[in-house]
Order: sequence, then C-alpha cells, then structure tokens
Amino acid sequence: MQKVKINRRYFIKLSSFSSGSLIIGFMLPGHKALALQDDECQFFQPNAYLKIDKKGKVTVYVAKQESGQGVDTALPMIVAEELDVDFKDVKSELAPYGTMKPGEHDTGGSQSILEMYNTLRKAGATAKAMLIAAAAKVWNIAPTSCAADMGEVVNTITNQRIKYGELVCKAATLPVPKEVNLKSPRDFKLIGKSEKRSNLKDILTGKAKYGIDIKVDGMLYAVSERCPVLNGKLISVDDAAAKRVPGVIKVVSYTGTEAPMHVRAGVAVIATNIWAAIKARKLLNITWDEGKQNGESTEELFKTFAVKANERPQFEVYTKGDVKKFIGKNEIMATYSEPFLAHATLEPVNFVAAVNGEKCELWGGLQLPDWAVNTIAKECGLKKENIKLNLTLMGGAFGRRLHFDFAIEAVKIAQQMDKPVKLLWERTDDIRYGIYRPANYHKLTANTDEKGNLIAWQHHVLGTPIAYMTDNPESKNAPEMDGADRGFCYDVSNIYTGYTGVNMNINRGWLRSVDICVNTFPVESFIDEIAAKIKKDPLEFRLSMLENRPDFKTGDGPGAHVQSPKRIAGVLKMVADKIGWKEPRKPNHFIGLATHSFIFANSYAAHAIEIELLGPKKFRITRVVGAIDCGVVINPDGLKNQMEGGLAFALTQALKGEITITNNRVVQDGFFSYELLNYNEMPPVEIYAVESNEEPGGVGEVGLPTVAPALCNALAAAGYRPYSLPIRNEGFSWV
Amino acid sequence: MPSFALNVNNKQYTVEAEADMPLLWVLRDLLDLTGTKYGCGVASCGACTVIMDGSAVLSCQRTVGSCVNKKIITIEGLSEDGSHPVQKAWQKAGVPQCGYCQPGQMMAAAAMLEKNKKPSEETIDLVMSNNLCRCGTYHRIKEAIHIAIEEINK
Repeated sequence: MQKVKINRRYFIKLSSFSSGSLIIGFMLPGHKALALQDDECQFFQPNAYLKIDKKGKVTVYVAKQESGQGVDTALPMIVAEELDVDFKDVKSELAPYGTMKPGEHDTGGSQSILEMYNTLRKAGATAKAMLIAAAAKVWNIAPTSCAADMGEVVNTITNQRIKYGELVCKAATLPVPKEVNLKSPRDFKLIGKSEKRSNLKDILTGKAKYGIDIKVDGMLYAVSERCPVLNGKLISVDDAAAKRVPGVIKVVSYTGTEAPMHVRAGVAVIATNIWAAIKARKLLNITWDEGKQNGESTEELFKTFAVKANERPQFEVYTKGDVKKFIGKNEIMATYSEPFLAHATLEPVNFVAAVNGEKCELWGGLQLPDWAVNTIAKECGLKKENIKLNLTLMGGAFGRRLHFDFAIEAVKIAQQMDKPVKLLWERTDDIRYGIYRPANYHKLTANTDEKGNLIAWQHHVLGTPIAYMTDNPESKNAPEMDGADRGFCYDVSNIYTGYTGVNMNINRGWLRSVDICVNTFPVESFIDEIAAKIKKDPLEFRLSMLENRPDFKTGDGPGAHVQSPKRIAGVLKMVADKIGWKEPRKPNHFIGLATHSFIFANSYAAHAIEIELLGPKKFRITRVVGAIDCGVVINPDGLKNQMEGGLAFALTQALKGEITITNNRVVQDGFFSYELLNYNEMPPVEIYAVESNEEPGGVGEVGLPTVAPALCNALAAAGYRPYSLPIRNEGFSWV
Repeated sequence: MPSFALNVNNKQYTVEAEADMPLLWVLRDLLDLTGTKYGCGVASCGACTVIMDGSAVLSCQRTVGSCVNKKIITIEGLSEDGSHPVQKAWQKAGVPQCGYCQPGQMMAAAAMLEKNKKPSEETIDLVMSNNLCRCGTYHRIKEAIHIAIEEINK
C-alpha cells in the first residue's frame, strides 16, 4: 500500500524538489499522468488543474483567489467546456498554495480570465484527449472514431458509450499528449451560459469560511494599537490597566517596516477572546515618537497640486505633434480632482499566524501570496521554505489584499507568542490605517479648429504616487497615467500629457480600477465639456474621433496593449441606443455618456446615466445603462453581477467616498464618516454585453471608470458640471 | 467567569463569558457559529444581524448578559438546508459576490417578512438600508426580496 499512496500534495512536492518550480515536471507533455494500478487507482489527474474520480466527478483546482469576482465559477467553466462534462459534476476548489506555478495564484488587475483561459482550456482538452484515447483502446478503434459528450466517450461507429469515471484508471496510465485540439468558440456549450456561483449554497447557509472565520487549535486573539502616523516609533507603553482585563494574556510591541508595505509601529493586546483584547486595547497608554512629517493635510496637498499644475510636469508621458501651437488663444481649460479612498472591504483585513521557532504557518486571504511570503520571510527573519500558507476565501478585496501589511503584523506578533494568533483589524483600523487610492488633480487644456475638430489636447495629472510607497520616493515608475497616456483613445493630432508626483506621509496602494478610474473621470468629463462649448452632440463628437481610427499599440515592447477605438465606440453606441439618446427627453431629465477601454484587461465599457433634476443641484438617478465588450463572455450572470456591483462601487466614489487627512492622520474612522452607497441609493440598472468571439478580457474593474463621468455629464447637461469628486462636496444632493 | 444560558437556533447552550461580551463574539468565537459576521462593531453595517424573539437585532450591540431567555436565530438556523424562502430567493436571484454581508442581509429580510408579508417599497428601503454591501449587490437583493414576497404570499 505504501508505495501507491501517492496523493496530489506528495506528487507536487516531488516535482517541486526535482525541478525547482512547483509543477513544471508535472506538466511536461510526454510525462505520464499520475499513474496508479487499477485496483489502487482512485482518480485521474493529468495536470495540476483538474482531477476526475471513478464516479466521473471532476474537481477543478482554481489558482485564483475568490473575493466575490466569481473566478471560482468562471474558471471551472472553462475546464468543463473543453472536457465536455456536465457542469453539475464539477466541483470548484481553491488550489492549495504552492501547487501552482509561481505567480499563478496572483489575483488582481482583472487578469484571472485572461491569464488562465488558454491554460485551462488546454488542461480540459488534455484530459478529454486522454479519456478518449483510453476508450479507443477499450474498443480497439482509432481515437478519431470516438467523441466526447457530457461526461462520456462515444464510439461513433457503434454508438456505445463509456462514462469518464470508468476510464480514469486507464487514462491515468497513458502519456500526456503534447498537442491537443481546442474547440472553436462557435461550438461552446457551457461558456456563454449563465451558471450560479459554485459556493452559493455555502454563502446562503452561513457555512462559507472566510479568513476571519479561521480557528486553529489553541488560537489566541489580537488587536493592535498603531502609531497615528506612518514611520513613527514607539517610545513607551503603560499596559498595566490593559493587562488587568480578564482574558488578556500579553501585550507585545513591534516595529514598523519600510517599503513595500509600510507597517506602522504597533502595540498588540493578545487575549483568550477578541472582546477582551478590544476592551484592553482602549486602556493602553502609549507614547509615540511621530517624527517630523506629521503636519501634512489633504487641504494643503490640493493647494500644492493646484500650484504645481501650472508648472512643467515632472514626467513627460506622451507627446504627439505640437500642442503649443494651439494653446494660448481661445483654448478651453478645466481642472478636476479626486480624493484619497479606502477599500473598506466588508470583511476587515485579518490574519492568523503560528510561529514555532523557525517554522511558520499562516492562514488568510492574500491576492499576491508569492510576494507576501517572500516579504514576510525577509521582514520577519524567516526562511520562505519554512512558511506554510493556507489561503482562504476573501470577504471582498478590491485591491486591499494585494497589500499584506496586516500579514506582516500578524507574524511579528505571533513570533512573540507560543500559540497561534488571529489578528483582527477593527473597522476603525481599516479606515484609519488603510492603504489609500491616491488623491489626484488634473489640469486639462484643449483647442478646436474652426470646423469644430479637436486639434490639441493637454493633460497634466498630479497625484500621490503608489510607486513612491511600494518602491521609494525617487521611483521613476511614478506616472500613473493609464487611460490618459499613449492609450488616449480619441484621434487628436497634437497631444501633450505629463505627470507630477507629490509625496505625502500616508500609505497608498491599488484600489479597484486603479488609475484608469482616476483618469477616465477628467478625460470623459472634459471631452463632454469641449462638445458643449462648441455645441456638438457629445455622442457624435466622440464617435467622430473613434470610429475612423484604426487599432493602435500603446507601447513599443512585445507586451504593449492594443487599443481598439472601434470597440470603444461600439460600447458607447450600445448604451446610447439602449437609453434612447436620440429620443426626446422627458421634462427635467438629462442623460450623460462616458466610454473607455480598460486597456490592460482587453475590455471596453461605457455608461449612459439618466437623471431627473429635482431642484438646484438636487437630482434622482432614474436609469443606468452599462455596456461591456470583453470578448467571449464566460459566465454572463457573473459578468452582469460584476457590472452591477461596479456601478455601486463607483457611485460611492462619485457621490460621497472621501478620505481626508489632517496632521497625517485620517479623519474618517468607520462607516458613519466614510459612507458607502446604501440599498435605497441603488438606481435601476441594465447591463448589456457585446457578442464577440474575441479572446476574453477581464471584467471585475471594467464597470467602474465611466460611472462618475457619465453621471457628471448628465448633471452638466442639467446645468451643473461637477469638477471634483465626491460631488457632495460641491453641494449636490440626491434622493 | 459568569455563565449564561442561551437559546440559539432552538438549541440550549451554556457559555462562560464576561457579561458585557457582545452576542456577536459569543456566537462566532464561543459557539463557532461563524455565519454571523463582524463588520464594524458599532451598528453601522448590519453584517452581524440576527433574529431575536422575532426581530432583527445587531448582535454587536447586544451583550450576552442581555440575551438570556431570548430566542436567537442565526443564519445557520434560518433553515438547515437553505430552504427558507429568503435563502431560496437569494439563490434564484444569484445575489452574492463575496457573500460576506449576505447572512446579515438575509436575516434582516427574513425578520422583515416575518412581521409583514407584503412590505411597501418604502418599508423595504428603510429596513434594508441598515445593511451595507461593498460589492454592491443591492440591485439583486431588491430582486430577491420581491421573489421571496411572491413566494410567501402564494
């Protein structure tokens, strides 16, 4: 028995030892699949992505982390499509950390489908080819005389059928083919049909386990009081009162870290239950050395932006033609601004760590686990091979869990304890000590010729760069110009775009839709403003600069993205058509449009938003129409849910989302002061997808960037153009 | 440490806890009923909503000492198999994204429909606006509530 008790983990471990990479050996064509003799055989696993048992049940191992975006359903659908199985027989499992190629667990940038589509199709098709080969041997016919159909191989000569489950042991002894045929998208049966989320029932019955629900033997609970400013130090702590709270075990301190994560210095209370820790934390009396950089505020930051906006940009990002010729006479100019934002995942970040000497075991949700493990090892003096990470379901991520400051903290605390510790960030911590979407400011200048053609476009973006935090304050990667650089979609002969970074001692990071969202608001607002100034229809004005422009590359290297102005125009026309742009408006009703390409996810989206003006700057959103072109749609219902949710997320930002800073301290401290969109504020929404056989693009972030500009363009049509988000600050109100 | 007798999901439990410990942490950490979620601890998000003696309450705002002799229902007790009309409606509408807030959303909806089988749109707005969803599934929550209303009035 011993020699055949090879389970998946063991096999992968062997591979990783021999090849240095986790599953390369496992995946090489020509190698035999996990080969077991019939009587010992339990399942067939031709690659790391799927397993089929003797009952024909399929398990798909999903490398990407689930945080609500639906990868746990869409990715298995891709495997099942090529495998030709009933999706009811497919189970989705989060691939244990370490069982995939380096980087494959990374989840972000709306990249999951893009990255995995061809890999998973090939994985499914490979398994199917081997099952067909096994059946062909049984019938002693050529594999070409066999076909696959819903979990069975069919003998096309005799119409006999064998279930996959009955073939797995034979298939497992066959060589893995080097080349396999993939289906034509026209023949897709599952891809393009809506499937319910694979863990839906667990969510609905309260059984779904998120990181915060992890409980391991002997586990203690911790909360942490952190230095009010970044880069401060602990001077002293009086923990006598805290220690008197029943249940408190220990109070420990830890130092902060520098780039990439900028953990704040902290004092953690560890207790037998979380309530004791929360109570005791309030009794800590701590003296911090806050250093010198603690007098900054967002008020001053935006003043600095406004001054520097008139200076030469720190970085020239993209130039074409000669803008200067057309600026200085009759030009149109506007400035726009957007605040810092917090992710505010409903499951606040948390992490479980157990450190026993050199060994370390971790539990929690991380979007970039490889980087996290490497950095934790470095910051905490551990060897990365001694770190075992157990990934968990995430109660929202939106980029917050691309960062792992909380995981470093948990390890630093657990290193001082002989038991596992769960570190919980209270909501106040989540809002006050977050990793914020950069504040930003835009100066736009443009001019048109006598025929009303846009001939000059100048865009100076100012922001608090993320790269200054993740790299260093001298980082050359500072320009955060996606959506406003060389990929600028409108056909204009003279363009000048530049970026200026302004540093501030507050942590910044990636938030859903990142700089495309930041830059689409001013670009799509300003285009509308220009159209209004020269009395052109905003739809026709945009289309005139998109429809005749051929696809173009946005960079020079092999990884350069291709921008398709026609697809940008396509989604715009779709929303205009669906909302009835050309029809007469109802009294006091106004429509705004915005379109864009979510360039690094190969997807395109537009919104049309209709408002009813109820009084000066008072409105109701009466209708929202969204359209997306993401190529092949894997799971239409999943796409729709993402687009609907993206609308809500973006409306929060447009209407009321704002983090302000005084003396380098975040003013907001929870949902009362950092308000999210409420149930009763959700407008009616319709989502449409362009039918397409293009390679599939991403979806998760694509539904956000055009929401704020479409809303603002509707308000502008009503006579009130907002120039800064959230629009509440400009006196707007809504019902 | 004091001990308290609790009736949760029609089962009797005795828990040892400080009297001021919120029911939320008793459910999650002492009884391992982790379907009830922590979102804020200060009555601002609704993630911890449970049903107590027929009404929706925020379990982060109820001390364990105040819950003795109360009948408490959590998401785990709404039904054992997801067959409650609200759960079925949530399934049909495919509501969840990350799903973290959904137990609280469903408990709020279930308590509302328990009291009023045909709530007005204004009532639904008022009740459901206590529960935040960062993924933004409100559109589907609305759809699901109407599915449930239709189902229970059949």
